[in-house]
Amino acid sequence: MPLVKIIVRRILLGVLTLLLVSVLVFAATQTLPGDTARAILGKSATPATLKAMRQELGLDRPAVVQYGSWLGGVVRGNLGESLAAKAPVTSVIGTRVRNSAVLVILAAIISIPLSILIGSLSGLLRDRPFDSTTSLGTLGLAALPEFVIGILLIGLFATQVFHLVPAVSVVQPNVPFTSQLDILILPALTLVLATSPYIVRILRASMIEVLESEYVQMARLKGMPENVVLRRHALPNAIIPAIQVIALNLAWLAGGVVVVEYVFNYPGIGLGLIDAINNRDVPEIQAIVLLIAGLYVGFNLLADILTILVSPRLRTGLQ
Amino acid sequence: MGDHIVSDQEGKAGFDLSKVDELINSHRFTRRNLLQGALAAGAVAAIGPVLSACGSSSGGTSSSGSPAAAASPKKGGALKSAIGGGSAKDTLDGQIPTSETQIGTQWQVYDALMDWDPNHKLVMTLADSYEPNTDGSVWTVKLKSGLTFHNGKSVTADDVIYSYKRIMDPKTAAPGASTLSALKASGMKKIDDLTVQFTLTNPSVTFYEAMAYYPNAIVPEGYDPKGMTGAVGTGPWIPTSFQPGQQVEFKANPNYWGEGPYADTLTMYEIADPSAKLNALLGGTVDHMTLLDSSQVSAVKAASGMQVLQAKTGGWWPFTMRMDQKPFTDARVRQAFRLIVDRQQMIEQALGGYGWVGNDMYAPYDPGYPADLPQRTADIEKAKSLLQQAGYNNDLTVQLTTSTAVSAAAPNMAQVFAQQAKAAGVTVNVNKVDPSVFYGDNYLKWTFAQDFWATRNYIPQMQVGAAPNAPWNECHWKNAQWWGIVTQALKTVDDTARAALIKQAETIEYQEGAYIIPSFNVLLDAYSSKVTGLAVDNWGANSACRCRYNLMSLV
Repeated sequence: MPLVKIIVRRILLGVLTLLLVSVLVFAATQTLPGDTARAILGKSATPATLKAMRQELGLDRPAVVQYGSWLGGVVRGNLGESLAAKAPVTSVIGTRVRNSAVLVILAAIISIPLSILIGSLSGLLRDRPFDSTTSLGTLGLAALPEFVIGILLIGLFATQVFHLVPAVSVVQPNVPFTSQLDILILPALTLVLATSPYIVRILRASMIEVLESEYVQMARLKGMPENVVLRRHALPNAIIPAIQVIALNLAWLAGGVVVVEYVFNYPGIGLGLIDAINNRDVPEIQAIVLLIAGLYVGFNLLADILTILVSPRLRTGLQ
Repeated sequence: MGDHIVSDQEGKAGFDLSKVDELINSHRFTRRNLLQGALAAGAVAAIGPVLSACGSSSGGTSSSGSPAAAASPKKGGALKSAIGGGSAKDTLDGQIPTSETQIGTQWQVYDALMDWDPNHKLVMTLADSYEPNTDGSVWTVKLKSGLTFHNGKSVTADDVIYSYKRIMDPKTAAPGASTLSALKASGMKKIDDLTVQFTLTNPSVTFYEAMAYYPNAIVPEGYDPKGMTGAVGTGPWIPTSFQPGQQVEFKANPNYWGEGPYADTLTMYEIADPSAKLNALLGGTVDHMTLLDSSQVSAVKAASGMQVLQAKTGGWWPFTMRMDQKPFTDARVRQAFRLIVDRQQMIEQALGGYGWVGNDMYAPYDPGYPADLPQRTADIEKAKSLLQQAGYNNDLTVQLTTSTAVSAAAPNMAQVFAQQAKAAGVTVNVNKVDPSVFYGDNYLKWTFAQDFWATRNYIPQMQVGAAPNAPWNECHWKNAQWWGIVTQALKTVDDTARAALIKQAETIEYQEGAYIIPSFNVLLDAYSSKVTGLAVDNWGANSACRCRYNLMSLV
């Protein structure tokens, strides 16, 4: 099937992209001043202790050898050991990945259906009060950086006006994660407010376009009930352009949580990456960056496939 | 008994150093007196905790902002505090605390033989007493009896010797190694279970400074900390959970030798962003936070139930000029730069008013600190004339390297200095670099930069920052006359005579030195009305109360 061929080719290209990303990341960390040994020893570093630590961490080997040995491990499924924590990368970032995943999935589950609903309604009720308010609202939210949204939410709901939810999202280790879910409220809300505007606006624009199309006019002239027209003809077509935006938003969420995690001190991969970069911890940096890049590639691939599947025109064009 | 530090002299605050030296000199400090004193101290130590539980907890004597005394500290509850950001590289190894979070954690779990009280007076912690010989080459230290580690093992002389050997081992990379450079493994002798004798290769009349240096923690024989396992000490708090970079949880040590802890558990949350740290307090996630920024004070005061703890300290953030590089090879240029600074203005603008004026000399609490030297103030005309004499005609340009790694306020201080320097015809280009760069390969090589120091007396500060073999001599300070005086001081047992020599040494630095010390730090912590017992400490780094969580209780 041509679709399968396309998918396979895209996956191979994706892998190649990840390989290139890993080379770029490695080269970038090599150009940064200092290394993990210096980061660990800090102000009390002496030439002797630096040399000893570099030997211990394998940092005295040539750069190409360090990269090669890391790559060899990855190919065999071993992400290596974090130089700063002196423990396997998977155990160091494992809970962080889970934490970020929970936050991102929660934000996505809320923002996607909500944005589709609001966007479609906006397009349908074009120029009416509902549409005007949402247009203004989404424009405002899109203009605000996400950390400003976060800070405003903290002030509103946690510290200044109301005291309803926690102001920082620290995860207590000996308490089950499921009983601490109130720490997710504000960061998730921030992410929802940061990503929804784009989906809302594109859905509104494409809904307007679809509602003016000939086949919708035809369906109405035929006497179809309005809700059937919307459900079967308008919405499916309106969503197609939105799929790309939604995929890009999900990909952004995967990496863009860094700022939100910093504002709320949420222990996810964002803070983990900042710490890893400060420590020049190459294996940990690579693992997190490749995770984010992989998600990026994956979501884009998913978006393209969905677009093809959803539009019969593109499907027939493949034959 | 309103004191927080149990000392071995009738329960009074602090252990007065000058009295020790007096006793030594008058040869009244015989073994008999020592034992008598130890007995009295032991008796007081035994009833001390009982008394302090009945008595009130009052603040330190040094500054304003101490909280009102509570009737008696309530026992129980969970203490939660927010400290600075940590990292995955943090460990619970008590002898290698190098970052802010590691230091704050280390203070809870471990003790050195001695410590500094909130007024920078020496106090005994694990040691009961010490006795140097006449020239300071042999030091005999007696431990308190009945001390135990968290695992129940008794603290003995063997543990002390093991601990110091581990610090001296280059593989440990301990920051305290340089303080023990005059000690050899063969120079440590166990006299009995509770007595250790140190024989120094270079006599030092101030070896107690090394014994009171907190990274020189006493750990049990066979100490091998991996994560949380094996991280055993004598401190007030026992770690129960350790997430490097996120938080550390502790439970109270029921057999702690000192005062408290009153709360059952302690959690130290590591929050890097200053706004997030404040939000943690304002939102109720924590009841105390360290190092409030001056810009956040109004937010704390406006919130109901929140208070600021303000500590006047001897901590300092100097500008460092390398005197072995142009233009600072010329003493006139160094003097000119010192005259450029409007110190009060720097405190107002860069520190939000939270600082007290410095006079380009460090160790303000040292008995030898020359407080009578005229306070330097800004004198642009004199600065200009000195620069002209040195050959610069409004054309001197220097780069000032700064970083938030020095402190959050350091870049502000750099900007203020650059502004002030314009009036004297000096162009200062502020180069703000990343923390990892600042303390990276170029650290100690920057021509004109800044640095941070906590409170120390003159000799230990000089040993790490100005002596010929000092590990952190940012200014590359070298002065033969000065070193002659200092070497003399290192051998002077008599406290008054030594203070006089220190005064001479400080005066030389006042005249020709390469530090610009415009101010000393006033540190701020913030806390909610739910906690009490915070005591101001002049340590000068990490926290206004030096993270003495063992003294805090929930209201």
